[in-house]
Amino acid sequence: MTVQLPVANAAQVRRYARTLFRRHPRALAAALALHAFAAIAGLAAPRLLGELVQAVQDGTTRLTVDKVAVAIAVFVLAQSVLTRYARLVSFRLGERVLAELREEFVRRVLALPLSTVERAGTGDLLTRTSRDVDALARTVRFAVPETLIALVTTVLTLGALALVGPLVALPCLVAVPILWASTRWYLRRAPAGYLRENAAYSDVNEGLAETVEGARTVEALRLLRQRVRRTDGDIGRSFAAERYTLWLRSVWFPTAEISYVIPTVATLLVGGLLYTHHLASLGQVTAATLYVQQLIDPVDRLLSWLDELQVGGASLARLLGVSSDEPERPAKPLPGNGNGRELVATGVRYSYVDGRDVVRGIDLAVRPGERLAMVGPSGAGKSTLGRLLAGIHPPRAGSVTVGGVPLASLPLAERRRRVALVTQEHHVFVGTVADNVALPRPDATEAEIRAALRAVDALGWVDALPAGLSTVVGSGGETLTPAQAQQLALARLVLADPHTLVLDEATSLIDPRAARHLERSLGAVLAGRTVIAIAHRLHTAHDADRVAVVADGRITELGPHTDLVAADGDYAALWSSWHGKP
Amino acid sequence: MRTLPLADPGIPVHRTPAAYLRWVARKQGGAIAAAMGFGVLWMLAQALMPAAIGKAIDEGLGHRDATALLDWSAVLLGLGAVQAAAGVMRHRLAVSNWLTAAYRTVQVVTRHSARLGATLPKRVATGEVVTVGGTDIAQIGNTVEIAGRLAGSVVSFVTVAVILLATSVPLGLLVLIGVPVLVLAIGPVLRPLHHRQRAQRELAGDLTTYANDIVHGLRVLRGVGGEDVFATRYAERSQRVRAAGYRVAGVESTLDAAQILLPGIFVVLVTWLGARFALDGTISAGQLVAFYGYAAFLVTPLSTGTEAADKITRGLVAARRVVHILGITPELADPADPVPVPGGPCEVELADPDSGVRVAGGSLTVLVVSGRLSGADLADRLGRYVDGPVLFRGVPLARLPLAEVRRRILVSDTGSRLFAGTLRTELDPSGELPDERIHAALAAASGTDILVGMPDGLDTAVEERGRSVSGGQQQRLVLARALLADPDVLVLVEPTSAVDAHTEARIAANLGTARAGRTTVVVTASPLLAAHADTVLFVRDGHVAGAGAHTDLLADPAYRGVVLRGDDDGDQPAPPDRPVPAAAGAGDGPNRAEAAE
Repeated sequence: MTVQLPVANAAQVRRYARTLFRRHPRALAAALALHAFAAIAGLAAPRLLGELVQAVQDGTTRLTVDKVAVAIAVFVLAQSVLTRYARLVSFRLGERVLAELREEFVRRVLALPLSTVERAGTGDLLTRTSRDVDALARTVRFAVPETLIALVTTVLTLGALALVGPLVALPCLVAVPILWASTRWYLRRAPAGYLRENAAYSDVNEGLAETVEGARTVEALRLLRQRVRRTDGDIGRSFAAERYTLWLRSVWFPTAEISYVIPTVATLLVGGLLYTHHLASLGQVTAATLYVQQLIDPVDRLLSWLDELQVGGASLARLLGVSSDEPERPAKPLPGNGNGRELVATGVRYSYVDGRDVVRGIDLAVRPGERLAMVGPSGAGKSTLGRLLAGIHPPRAGSVTVGGVPLASLPLAERRRRVALVTQEHHVFVGTVADNVALPRPDATEAEIRAALRAVDALGWVDALPAGLSTVVGSGGETLTPAQAQQLALARLVLADPHTLVLDEATSLIDPRAARHLERSLGAVLAGRTVIAIAHRLHTAHDADRVAVVADGRITELGPHTDLVAADGDYAALWSSWHGKP
Repeated sequence: MRTLPLADPGIPVHRTPAAYLRWVARKQGGAIAAAMGFGVLWMLAQALMPAAIGKAIDEGLGHRDATALLDWSAVLLGLGAVQAAAGVMRHRLAVSNWLTAAYRTVQVVTRHSARLGATLPKRVATGEVVTVGGTDIAQIGNTVEIAGRLAGSVVSFVTVAVILLATSVPLGLLVLIGVPVLVLAIGPVLRPLHHRQRAQRELAGDLTTYANDIVHGLRVLRGVGGEDVFATRYAERSQRVRAAGYRVAGVESTLDAAQILLPGIFVVLVTWLGARFALDGTISAGQLVAFYGYAAFLVTPLSTGTEAADKITRGLVAARRVVHILGITPELADPADPVPVPGGPCEVELADPDSGVRVAGGSLTVLVVSGRLSGADLADRLGRYVDGPVLFRGVPLARLPLAEVRRRILVSDTGSRLFAGTLRTELDPSGELPDERIHAALAAASGTDILVGMPDGLDTAVEERGRSVSGGQQQRLVLARALLADPDVLVLVEPTSAVDAHTEARIAANLGTARAGRTTVVVTASPLLAAHADTVLFVRDGHVAGAGAHTDLLADPAYRGVVLRGDDDGDQPAPPDRPVPAAAGAGDGPNRAEAAE
């Protein structure tokens, strides 16, 4: 049921890019001015060199030569000092913009409605947080300043060329149409080509990683041939993608390189012609030739960063697509005090795909303090019903109320205080044990955290960790067992203290040996709360006050365990096979 | 251009990293030589351009000679064409060489990894092999690729040197000594730059990890709260990356300035001396312009030299990891004098004298394991993933060829992996089975509903590591795959730990039929599976403590505790270096789990 998150359109990306830079008008102006001055200083040398050649040709004194040499040296020095500060300012501006961008993105991610997160899955979001943020960083760090500098240098060099003499400046323009056409051709195809190339290349890595991580499975199922074939297939696809971009470059590179030589030749020829007709001096022609040579570098850099800019733009669009525009449901004034604890579902229906209801008209009233177990085959709609009861998805039809108030209309913070959904997804965040427990209440004292851990019977092993509560856990830190991770999640709940819990153990992969201990911890958390457990093991159902059997989007049986066993329906059959009684 | 993948990547030499790199280079020697040739041509064309411009100025412009100007312009255009053509050929060969070296390495590592099988994760961290795919192959590709450019650089450097010395010995010496000094002078700035860049990269990597961590735990965060804390912490880390970026910017901008200043001053020196010589009439005005061009040009071949040194060093580091992996040999050896496998199912198909486990041929046997020996360890013994005295049809497993053992006995444990591919290849890697068989196996594993959610049925792609299907679905797919493999003996370890009771009941009911006539061993604590077994063996602390039907064994309170409550009277398996959780904590709080009937 994964749905891709949206991607921003070109206009949105441009608008955002503009606001981003408008936030730092002074730094941007300083960077541009410094780059311009540096480029101007860089243009003096060829001009002076041209004059030097002219002077040597005409016959001059050593003093003049020395003076011109010193002048060139001064300009070179000025250019390098100006470049230093121009680069510094623009690098720092880039870092600042980048930091703002990624922080804003993470804030957007953290504000995504839970229903969106559940539906989109983590894959797409992970790609955006890692690959797109990295791609954008490369663009902002290198491509943006490089193109900016190249642009400024190109414009100024052309200006200097025009100053040398409009007539000697004109020939270099012959290359413009060729460069324009070939670059356009290339840029239309390049970004898609490089994206495919990168994707195919990571497939090669993924294939190797799979072979390595599944090495034992490979041996058990004798998959050697298949793995070799998979890698060779990946290589074949990667090679095809590489060959495509290589073909693009094989056309574009030589065209561009020829386009760089043509202006030099044209300037020499036309300049020579002008010189023979006394329309230009030798110095002018020399300087013009050198300027045209000097144009090659910035133009080349400008063109070669363009595709990188496109890639960065695409990444930015994907980052901006993760938007929290979709409001987290309006906070309406609550009818009544809304403090009641009774959870009631009336005529609830829900579908992920139009016309295919997964939950098909369920009425259910859960009494405060009751333990209700939901059992049923996979795909029956238990988990969806659990999410509806926890207010994560608003029902398509019917209503879910808590204390008479529609759950879906409650603001997020309010809803969390009342109902929590607990999955057995044992994610341990990178951070200390205390950080992991204190999520719902960042202001919790150490004593409260310890009390919560004690309640779930986890204080013993936590205290035995190298730094106790302050031990860093999660990826890169101390490794916790799934059961320990689950205990941390339960301690979190003790701290959050909602009056109703929806437990979904459908994805439990916990070692059965650890389960017993965990149940004890769970018992402490459940005490005094309303509990709706999507049960996986039948003894959970046995221990509940009531059992609901869900099949095909409906509740088919509902009542205490003993009643259902006596009723001799599906549940009774399952129970007797569990217990080995005929 | 060579077509990849290579049909046969060859047998790698893995004595030393250098030997491996040499082997890779030798395998594609012709292409490397061609890349070198075009590299030389490309560089030479570039190197000769300043000379052509100088000549055009001297002979064409200086003497107002239109023919000479046209001639030299034509030469210049010709050089440009040669440069463009040689450049693209060189580039194509370079890419091809890079890819061939990188892919060849992936191919040999994949083949070796697949051959090593279960030995691999025991002998090397999986992350290390993954690094080979992630970065090392690129470094090895770089090493091979730089060879072509290095050759071009050396030849063009020598050519320019000859031209310079022939024109003017003092100026030539100045350029030939000055340029290397310049390139070396940049070196001291490079080291702090690399240092700071590495620091920033590491921080940025941490930041990405942190962001991924947020995404992975987003459901938890959105469920219980804590978003503000994470946003703040992310911002703090992000600012640290920014600060590190500022430090990089400091050095990098200095380096950029130095790269303008040093060659710039040098060019001034050359020009100034050149102008004085021109004034004396030692050289011509055109030669002066050419010198200016040479001084600027020579920086490229020299930086290629330093780049090559760097890339070869990195290539050796990368090759060291590759060589390490290629040097691993399988843990379990084939017997020196293998015995043929006795035919047909036997009365006792599988026997483990150590534990007393005996499995009758064609039976469905459930092993309920508790205590000091874990079920997984017992399964490893039965399938010879560790050496032991286990007998298959009366013959010790160690006396059979390993490939034969794997063919006859399949152990499908909880660590079994799914691979990316279509559902069909997932379930039937051989690709030979008809659809009916696959559907039947899926039905037996109660996995038909998985297919309903798949848009293209059996041809739907499953993502890497089976990411796109839930844990319970993965487990059922693994089971269906094991059933389709149809081995003589199938050993399943907790095949239903991630599915709900309803589904488990269905699987338990189907298993016997699906494996009719074959031998099946299920290591589990599930009463639903045990109830459908021909025989249940209760293995406690490594020895059979009870045998019979599930209903009969239920009389044993220890057995009852294990199958109905998941009790385990053995030592709680604690992770290394971690104490056993205080079991005494059972006293406080309500303990509904203990409320047995």
